[in-house]
Amino acid sequence: MFLALKELKHGKLRFTMIGLIIVLIAWLVFILSGLGNGLSTLSAATIKNWEAEHVVYENGAGATFSKSLLSQSLQSEIEAQPGVEEVAPFSQAVIAILPTAGVTEGEKKVDTALLGIEAGTFLHPEVVEGKALDPNIKNGVVGNIILKDQKGYAIGDVIAIDGSELEVEIIGFVENETFNHLPSLFANMDFVRDYKYAAPGSNNGVEDAINAFAVLGKDVDAEQMIKAVDGVEVVTKSAAINGMPGYTAENGTIMMMLVFLIVISAFVIAVFFYVLTIQKTQQFGVMKAIGASNGFIARAIVSQVFVLSFFSILVGIGLTYLTAMVFPEEMPFNLDPALVITYGIVLLAISVGSSLFSVRRISKIDPLTALGRVE
Amino acid sequence: MTLSMKNVSKVYKEGESQIIALDQVSMEVSSGEFVAIIGPSGSGKSTFLSIAGALLKPSQGEVKIGNKNIATLKDKELSHLRLQEIGFILQTSNLMPYLNVLDNLLLLKKMSGKVTKQDEAFAKELLTGLGLTSKFKKFPNELSGGERQRVAIARSFMNDSSLILADEPTASLDTNRAHAVVSLISKEVKARGKAAVMVTHDERMLAYCDRVYRMEDGKLTLQ
Repeated sequence: MFLALKELKHGKLRFTMIGLIIVLIAWLVFILSGLGNGLSTLSAATIKNWEAEHVVYENGAGATFSKSLLSQSLQSEIEAQPGVEEVAPFSQAVIAILPTAGVTEGEKKVDTALLGIEAGTFLHPEVVEGKALDPNIKNGVVGNIILKDQKGYAIGDVIAIDGSELEVEIIGFVENETFNHLPSLFANMDFVRDYKYAAPGSNNGVEDAINAFAVLGKDVDAEQMIKAVDGVEVVTKSAAINGMPGYTAENGTIMMMLVFLIVISAFVIAVFFYVLTIQKTQQFGVMKAIGASNGFIARAIVSQVFVLSFFSILVGIGLTYLTAMVFPEEMPFNLDPALVITYGIVLLAISVGSSLFSVRRISKIDPLTALGRVE
Repeated sequence: MTLSMKNVSKVYKEGESQIIALDQVSMEVSSGEFVAIIGPSGSGKSTFLSIAGALLKPSQGEVKIGNKNIATLKDKELSHLRLQEIGFILQTSNLMPYLNVLDNLLLLKKMSGKVTKQDEAFAKELLTGLGLTSKFKKFPNELSGGERQRVAIARSFMNDSSLILADEPTASLDTNRAHAVVSLISKEVKARGKAAVMVTHDERMLAYCDRVYRMEDGKLTLQ
């Protein structure tokens, strides 16, 4: 530590430049992770918020809600399966909403995900304003609060659904509920059914059509249920999230960038310290000649990398939070402190690990180089 | 006997041929003695110093520093031996550039553990004795060549080791400074009761030494 700190202090310019590179890498890693986290939330926050362990789809739907069509009458059959505690039906549609008076100048229609649930089931999120869904108010809806904050809708507003004669009334708001990158708009299942299957035959002849069931129960055996109930597939909640359109592609892309970034940073940091070590071969030779052990020099190098990386990563985190404040509110950016800490530790471990290259080099330095003229 | 070498040979292989760098060299240096070795370049002086300094093991013969036979020691024990028993005065620019004068001395204490108040006082005493009182906090690049060499001398005494080895300590100094540096080494060696060996090609410096050996083609002869 003694040598490491003294040298850092003495070679400010050199180490500031290396530190700056680590700062930039860390900054980019944290921004990407925040973006990835934000995108995946946007894509499937509603599903992620579910308490359910399993989701039941129509056989062949491939864990995609829009491809799945089931009859609500299956509910009692699923409830009867071993381990099942609770079952709730779920249905989804994408709609554009607009004020009943029509769109005036400067306004836009707003795309939302219309999600059909039964009032009082565990799929109903907690309302932060107004009241929850009520079977007696058939066209009452509970929307994501960003509809209020960003789009100017308020409780009591009656709004039209584009391309339909149906109208809904906003009775409550919920937080952090998005589905398919769109703000969620929860509605009574009956209402959603009226909207989705207004045209005769559009429900493929399925009575009381819904898209899927969410199943609560830790001891549910998915394989068993597939055998016992006709025409369904049962997947875990995480498989259901991965089945959201675009979810795997988005996450995969960002994960790939993160992994590459981290691998590249490992090489960059390793090469920098390796070059520094080679430059100091003579110095290390002298130290070994006057009696320094390999361990003493190795500790000096590793602690130097540790100190430099640690503070650079801290600066990177600080810059990330500063940047987050500047990002527009609509940007799907969501910094999870747990994620920041994880990536911070990964980066630190990688820089310290990559300095081991240099340590290997040190053990090969011959103290004879100190004499300056090896015969 | 602080340094004792008996029939020491060092042979390098170069392709098919063999180069005999040291040929049956024997010498002994006891505490309080300051010995010089002179000879043309390529005569084996550096090899001699490397072996005497436990940096290199001989092909044949026995080298004892204190009462330790270096042939029997492992690398780690050798570096410990160098730290505790040998003080090196190397050619110029062998101070750590990012440590100030005082820290350059204390580095040796760091290598073996903690630095105590006594260590710091001893380092200051050494530097003061060498006329570097005002230079404690200077970095090597702020010192003259002679001052740097004096710091190197102080460093070699820092661990109170019994054997001092000097490798061309006057190589980059003018006559006045060279005399000053060697007389300081001689004075410190006598005052502290060390055994010292100086390798040099500078015959002007021999007056300070108790004995002078000449190295030629790997053979050592007393002059």
